[in-house]
Parts: sequence; structure tokens; C-alpha cells
Amino acid sequence: MENIRLLLVDDEEDFRNIIARRLKKRGLSAEQAGNGEECLAMLEKNQADVVILDVKMPGMDGLEVLHHIKKKYQKTEVILLTAHSSTPDGVEGIKAGAFDYLTKPVELEHLLEKIKQAYEKIQRLEDKEKEAEFREKMEQQMIVTERLASLGTLATGVAHEINNPLAIIKEATGWMELLLKKEELAEMPRKADFEKGLGKIEKSVERARRITHQLLDFVQKHDSALSEINLEELVEESVRLINREVVNKDIEIVRKTKPSAGNIWTDPYRLRQVLINLLNNAIHATSPGGKITISSSVLSHFQAPACLRSQASPAREQRKNNSTEAVELRVEDTGQGIPKENLKKIFEPFFSTKSPGKGTGLGLFVSQGIINKLGGNIEVESEVGKGTVFCITLPRYHKTEEEPEKNSRPDFWKKLGL
Amino acid sequence: MIKIPTKILVVDDEKDFVEMLSLRLNETGEKVTPAYSGKECLDLLEKDNIDVVILDIKMPGMDGIEVLKEIKKRFPLIEVIMLTGHGTTETAVEGMKLGAFDYLLKPADFDDLSEKLEGARKKKDEQEERIRKAEAKLLSRKTGGVF
Ligand SMILES: Nc1ncnc2c1ncn2[C@@H]1O[C@H](COP(=O)(O)OP(=O)(O)O)[C@@H](O)[C@H]1O
Ligand SMILES: [Mg+2]
Repeated sequence: MENIRLLLVDDEEDFRNIIARRLKKRGLSAEQAGNGEECLAMLEKNQADVVILDVKMPGMDGLEVLHHIKKKYQKTEVILLTAHSSTPDGVEGIKAGAFDYLTKPVELEHLLEKIKQAYEKIQRLEDKEKEAEFREKMEQQMIVTERLASLGTLATGVAHEINNPLAIIKEATGWMELLLKKEELAEMPRKADFEKGLGKIEKSVERARRITHQLLDFVQKHDSALSEINLEELVEESVRLINREVVNKDIEIVRKTKPSAGNIWTDPYRLRQVLINLLNNAIHATSPGGKITISSSVLSHFQAPACLRSQASPAREQRKNNSTEAVELRVEDTGQGIPKENLKKIFEPFFSTKSPGKGTGLGLFVSQGIINKLGGNIEVESEVGKGTVFCITLPRYHKTEEEPEKNSRPDFWKKLGL
Repeated sequence: MIKIPTKILVVDDEKDFVEMLSLRLNETGEKVTPAYSGKECLDLLEKDNIDVVILDIKMPGMDGIEVLKEIKKRFPLIEVIMLTGHGTTETAVEGMKLGAFDYLLKPADFDDLSEKLEGARKKKDEQEERIRKAEAKLLSRKTGGVF
């Protein structure tokens, strides 16, 4: 409440000074105006939260000033000061939008109480506004998500439908190729031409198949589906998806994925979404000529991951106790870095330092949510001017409640190896 | 060396697919019977001697998973290879839990298919061999063979 902006308007200078001094003692500083015109002129320059306004003033009287204030500054609250004998003025004032009125002589405690109430009202309104804004942003985000989802449904349908005829073409081609190899056709004229044509068909089917599979990959439905994935392939795929931007911006992408990082049991689509978020952020933060490094490695549960070495993290403790093997994914850039005061905020929803068209402030919020859901942990280290590291640690086998123990027989999953 | 043909039942509602895959597999020396629905598949299994079923999961009427359950219940020795759409890993997982030998994404690679067919066939042969031995043992005991 100390930073509340107060304006005290009364034609009696002595009265103003006394009140101002007393308010000061209670930690509130108030601007002063000697008449209505001055009050409005001051508000023009600096808006106030609460105006304490004498009604009986020469020139423009308090009620008139009140009308002006309420017309121009809806958020400003006005407390009227009326003479003892003129209660109707106070009532009139409230009808015109004043917060309340006090009769002179004013008791400081009453005044303070009223100021406090007025200020609380202002804050309530502000909170409401913020909430509405938040909701609107969320709704916009939902619209985007839904649009993507329905686009996904359509694309998935089309891809599935195309796969069936593709399978037929493929088998027919393979069959004809087999026939051409038969002894009875050894002397067939222009056999090579047929073989060439069939080869082309086969290749094109393969190409179309890749497209439909990628499409189906990309628009996976959104409820969590766990499967075994190869980390290296996942990284490769994510890089491929953001490659155009990288090339345009002349940024080098270095991959330091060790094959030993191997497979992990997790939600591939969500994890890829996280990687893409991190990569996009890194690209935004890095100037041309910069470098982004993606690395993966295995953490035996005793070894402290490099990026967590600074302090003990609960996730690490947990890993120790469960002795689950974990893998680490790092996205490192040589970009602008994140100032200390922002480091805590970047995972908050809608925190963004980018212009509205560019940033939603949801990338890291969503990413953290996903990683936590997958039983992992995401941390950041950054130095302004040098660069930023985001570090994800994930258990190699993530079990959800719906996945009972017996389903994770290793040989069983090996068969499913995707 | 003469190859002993694997007796395969291909089940898919896409007639052209069944026909083409059958022709191709026949050409490589297997013996293929076509079926165009889950019901037809089960009827044929009653009559014919089949080693491996190649089963499409997405079929109208009785879907692949239901057919698989029925096969495993009534003909536990017959191996099943599922054909699934891409991105339906959950179905594949379910099928594996229900006892399918393996699965392939459509359109499947022919070499992969051949490899899995061979694996399925081998598994079935071994299983039958074990049963034969067990039966022989039982028989020799009953007839008072050497202990
Ligand atoms: N690699 C990075 N380098 C510098 N700043 C980053 C990096 N990643 C994230 N940030 C900061 O964190 C903020 C929030 O990121 P994010 O949640 O992805 O939202 P958005 O990218 O839409 O702004 C960014 O606006 C940026 O200020
Ligand atoms: Mg972002």
C-alpha cells in the first residue's frame, strides 16, 4: 500500500498540509492540489489511484471535479470530504461514482481505513482484469491447439487411407519383380526396361511411404503413448524439423549424441516437442555464426550430472534411491544468455521477452510440464553474453500407473523396437 | 535344397492387397490361402492346416484384435503376425500381449515380412516338436518302456 498514488485536493492549504503530514507519518505520501482545475491538470500528467476531494471549493466544486475524474479516469477512486451539515452532497457524490465520503473534521483513522478500502477495490479490479487477460490468452492458445489437432486428424486420416493403396502397389511391384527373375522369362525381350520401370515404382512407393509415416508421426494424437525410442534418432528427427531456420540464420548445429545413450522408454512425441521448443529458443537467442550443441549421455545413478552439480536436486536424490538409470539431454547455445533476474521466471506461463507476434511464453512452461510428467527434470544455466544450457534428465524407464510392472519385460519391448 | 512351404493365411479386407501379397508369397515358395474377413479367417482355420496368419488389424466387422484373441483361444499353436497402421503402437502392444508373434507397419517391407514369417514358422515347429516329445515320453511310460 506504500506505493499507492494519492492526491489530496482542498482549498485550505493548512488543512492539506496537516493531513499530508499525518499520512506521511503512516507511510503514505500524497500530492496536493489547491482547487479543482489544478487537480485535473495534475491528473493529466500523473494518474492517481485515490483522490481525496473536498466538496466545498471556490470555482469548480468537488462534485463537478468528481464528474470529470470519473469520466476520464474510470479506475481512479474518489473519497469526498463534506461539511458536517451537508450529507446530501455525500450521497450525491456516491451516486456519481465516488467511493465514499467522510465528513469534516476528518479523523485520520477513518481516512486511512477508507483509503485502504478504496485501494483494495482497485486491486481487486486489477486482478480481475489480469485474470480475464490470462483467460483470453489461454483461449487463444486453445484455439491454436484445437486447430492443429483437427488438422492432425485430417492428415492422419489421409495418410492412413493412402497407406493401403501404397501397400497394394508395393506388393504388386514386388511380385512382378519376382516373376521377371523366373527361368521361363529368362529370354524375355526388353526385360531390362521392365526391371527399370518396376524399380522406379518401388522407389517412389518408398518415398510416399516415408511421407505418410512422417505425417502420422508429426500429428500424433495428444494423449500420452509411451514407447521405446532411440535417443539419437529422436535428436536427429528434431533437428531435421527445425533445420530450415538454422540454415537461414547461419547457425551451426553440433550433435554429440553417443550411441551408448541408446533407447529410452518414454513418450516420443512429447519429448520431441520439448526438444523442438528448446532448439527454437536457442535459435532465437543465437546470432548468425553462433553454435548450438545437442548432446546426450547416460547417467549412472551415482554420477552427478554436470549441469546439476551446483546443488543437490530432489530429482537426483530420488534417482539415487530408486537406483534407476537415467539419461541426460543437453541443448547448449552461444546466444545472448538469460539475465539472472529472469532465470526464475522463464518457466512461468506467458513469461516472454519476445515481441507478442514472436513469443507466447508457453514454450518452457509446457516443456517443463511434459518433462515432469515423464518423471524427469529440466534445469537451466546461463550467462549473459555467453550462452545458455538447458539440461533434461529422464529416467530410462518411465513407468506410469497404467503400465504395470509385468509389461516392461525387456525382451518383450525389444521385439517392439521401433 | 527344396524349401518346405510355410502355410500362410493372409487376412485383410483389402482384396487387392490380399491377392497381390498372396501371389508374391506364392512366388517365393510359400503356400498362401486368402481370407477377406475375420470370420472367413476363423472358418478357414477350422478346415485348413495353417502355420502362420498375417492379420490386418483394421478391418470392418470383427477387427484384428478380436480375431487374434479368438485364434489364440482356439488354435494356440498358430502364430500371428499383425499388420498395423503407423502410429497405432498401442494396438501393436496390445496384440503382442495377446500373444501375437510380431507386428509390421503397413506398407510393410517384404524382407522384414519374410524374416518374421521364418521366425514364426520356426517357433511353431519347435513348439510342435516339444509337444511330440512330451507325448512320446508319456506313451513310453504307459507302455512300460525302460525307466
Ligand atoms: N536459449 C535461450 N537463450 C536466451 N533466452 C532464453 C532461451 N530460452 C528461453 N529464453 C528466455 O525465456 C523466455 C521464455 O521462453 P519460452 O517459454 O519458450 O517462451 P517464448 O519463446 O515464447 O518467449 C524467452 O522469452 C527468453 O527470454
Ligand atoms: Mg519458446
